[in-house]
Amino acid sequence: MTSREMMHRSEVAVSVELETPDMTLNIGPQHPSTHGVLRLVAKVDGERITEVEPVIGYMHRGYEKLSEVRTYAQITTLVNRIDWVSGFANEVPFILGVEKLMDIEAPERAQWIRLILSELFRISSHLVFMSSYPLELGATTPLMHVLREREYILELIEGVTGGRFHPNFNRVGGVKPNYGGGSQTKKQSMDLPAGFFKSTLEAMDRMDQICDDIDTLVTGNELIKARTVDVGIIPGDKAIEYGLSGPNLRASGVAYDLRKVENYLPYDQVEFDVISRTGGDCYDRYLVRLDEIRESVKILRQAIDIIPAGPLQVKVPRILKVPVGQVYSRAENPKGEFGYYIVSEGGKMPYRLKIRSTSFSNLTILPWVLKDQLIPDLVAIMGSLDFVLGDVDR
Amino acid sequence: MNFWLELAIKTVLMLVVVLTASLVTIYTELKAGSHMQARIGPYYAGGRWGWAQPLADGAKFLQKEDLAPAKADRTVYGYAPWVVMMSTLAIFAVIPMGPDLVATKLDLGAYFLLAISSLSVLGILMAGWSSANKYSLIGGLRAAAQLIAYELPLVLAVVAVVVQAGTMSLNGIVEAQQATLFTVGGVEIALPFLLTGQIIGFGIFMIAAVAELSRIPFDMPIAESELTMGYLTEYSGIRFTMFFLGEYASMVGLSAIATTLYLGGYAVPFLPESMENFAGPGIFFTKVAVLVFIIIWIRFTWPRLREDQLQWMAWRWLIPLALFNIALVSVFKVVF
Amino acid sequence: MSDQPDTATEPNPLEEYAAGIAERLGAEGSSAEFDTVRVDVARDKWVETINEARKELPFFSWLSAIDWSKDTDVGEGVANPDELEERFEVMCRLSSVENGDGAIFFTTLSKDDASIGSLTATIGGAEWHEREAHEMFGINFDGNKNLVPLYLPDDFLGNPLLKSYPLIAREVKPWPGDVDVEGLPETDEEGDAS
Repeated sequence: MTSREMMHRSEVAVSVELETPDMTLNIGPQHPSTHGVLRLVAKVDGERITEVEPVIGYMHRGYEKLSEVRTYAQITTLVNRIDWVSGFANEVPFILGVEKLMDIEAPERAQWIRLILSELFRISSHLVFMSSYPLELGATTPLMHVLREREYILELIEGVTGGRFHPNFNRVGGVKPNYGGGSQTKKQSMDLPAGFFKSTLEAMDRMDQICDDIDTLVTGNELIKARTVDVGIIPGDKAIEYGLSGPNLRASGVAYDLRKVENYLPYDQVEFDVISRTGGDCYDRYLVRLDEIRESVKILRQAIDIIPAGPLQVKVPRILKVPVGQVYSRAENPKGEFGYYIVSEGGKMPYRLKIRSTSFSNLTILPWVLKDQLIPDLVAIMGSLDFVLGDVDR
Repeated sequence: MNFWLELAIKTVLMLVVVLTASLVTIYTELKAGSHMQARIGPYYAGGRWGWAQPLADGAKFLQKEDLAPAKADRTVYGYAPWVVMMSTLAIFAVIPMGPDLVATKLDLGAYFLLAISSLSVLGILMAGWSSANKYSLIGGLRAAAQLIAYELPLVLAVVAVVVQAGTMSLNGIVEAQQATLFTVGGVEIALPFLLTGQIIGFGIFMIAAVAELSRIPFDMPIAESELTMGYLTEYSGIRFTMFFLGEYASMVGLSAIATTLYLGGYAVPFLPESMENFAGPGIFFTKVAVLVFIIIWIRFTWPRLREDQLQWMAWRWLIPLALFNIALVSVFKVVF
Repeated sequence: MSDQPDTATEPNPLEEYAAGIAERLGAEGSSAEFDTVRVDVARDKWVETINEARKELPFFSWLSAIDWSKDTDVGEGVANPDELEERFEVMCRLSSVENGDGAIFFTTLSKDDASIGSLTATIGGAEWHEREAHEMFGINFDGNKNLVPLYLPDDFLGNPLLKSYPLIAREVKPWPGDVDVEGLPETDEEGDAS
């Protein structure tokens, strides 16, 4: 076409563009920084977002419908995969709910093993946050250092459960009893692997070290502060209204930690603090998670001293039928409050399983908090909420 | 010599020097950056040290398909990388690597440098607009705003040097830094401008240079984790290579300018006159290498600034400081 | 961790708490089995009761529904099908942010008239939960301005979590049944299990 035609065409295109005040920007679903397949339809005015609508459901796997056709042991396998970064912590409230319906209590050693594994997964999940959040802000180095340290935790978990991400270690009535090989040792239950306590203590020293390293590299950094302080402030009452939980809630001034409040595991026998901050901005959410790693290290050091010997699982029938009843049991996932509402009608499978997933509730606040923010702040705020799409979509 | 032959030789030499320097810089960034991130970096290409990695990447890009988006403005889309490349390569025409090792001895060397290097903004705007992609558009506009904002501190810092040297010619500036300041026990001491009152200017220049290069902490235009490469999103193959090489050539170029203006260029003290043409390039490139390494180091340590913070830093902080610097230097020049 | 009290001899503190809440709110009934406080609310007083309850239990945790149906295409069905009334139950959990108190509020909807007031006027976070209940069960929430599907694609027909909605995969390939991979300690015959 002639240059005259091209000029005319580009003029027309420009004037059409200039007429519309708002541009609709589609962020995702494939995008480097949306933590999975999340799509945000944003109305943008220059660099400022006027309205955001998140579109979720790209990873909807139908957990609640599936659970109606799975036995309780099979559901235990499935629910690891809801929040895949904190695998074990997804199983714990489910198993506790079933045990409550069946009126059995797991032996002490099993409860302590559950506590140790929950805290190891909490450290692992927060380390994933530590590595990916500075990356979204542009600092590329913490990613490598932190993930290298996380390998130590994953090795510990693999030594105990056989899996790095999906341990599937809980059984109704306790934890999985490991067997020795061969028929000679048929009745022998060999639980935690040899050297577990020693390597855990070494790993805890490394965790302290990496927390100090992150402090040096990221926390005091003026540029990180400029990007995150006073960005995405969520006041405490809004957080409560939207159902925000976990480190997000604690950073907004509400010092509520289910580990202290619900006695679902023997947390009352270890000493630790509930970390909370009052600002409610991205920097506070980051600091809360950093300090929680240190608290988990404290808990693990004490738990290793306290853990008693004993059996790993109570005797349960081979074909498990849970009596009629309804129970809601919840636990403190690394990301927040995670709960299951189990409706049992006396069969091998639940009648209805409602999963209260943390990131789903955490994400409901997104349209509210992203109003009138700049596009780079969108990335900072979403990263600081620390959600996982599997948790959101179930 | 015949004018055209001389021109051809100088062009070829300059291109060779620039491209080699760029490739070495790319390799340093890959390797040094990897080690900073607790990784090993290129390992296989070219034996144990992976030195052939940039060459392999270049060869890969050259054989890629020539893609362009359907709605893109083909002419502008095609010319954008050339504009950027050209403005970058032209810098090296006036930078002296020895008293006679310079392509042209312009009396207006510093002026020419600043004018030519600001043409790259045009190329980036062309790239962002013609890609027919909202992300590219946002990236292109961000880049243009950033580059225009940081041109000013750059220019003002150079003005301070020009005031102190008394000449705009780059050879003249290097010679001014060789002027004896004082004698200590019979030994004549000459100091580079960095140490004779231009320390503020050097800081301003380096910050503005990193911003001109669109590198972290100023890489909003190419914020990978937000806009997937900004104005470069729709570029691939040879055109992308030109942008890519252009960025590293600019890095070397701006470090070369900084070396000439602040660190004394190709000169070191106590070097006999006859050796200057011979050892000049080596000394020059050592100084350039130090500055390039610092720029790479900064990239891997810090996160990126947000667009408005970046603008705030330029307009509210660097420009007043640069003006103050000029005033200070002028006062000292007149008084002493 | 928690003792189940002997029935009718020891007062369960949780049951007293449940009864207290029900009385304060004018609810229809309460119970506290298995450590889960349950308060039954009349359908037309749903929104006001929840808003009133938020004064002492401010944390909005979740909202969902149960489909009580005899027509079970999926799963095992209820224990006593003859005694079952077919209905929907909408449930909403509120909890405290100072201690472990919490309660789940239930209301019953009939299948023919499955609609209830929306909580979105006062609780911002309820919007997504109501959208999910709407698309999964077909329950209408009056007052929710954005009742479009949340998870399901736009052209999806039907309400998946209804008991009558079949699992297509199971139509194609029937359920293989209970497959136990690993035996339990005392009842197992072989020694190795891995």
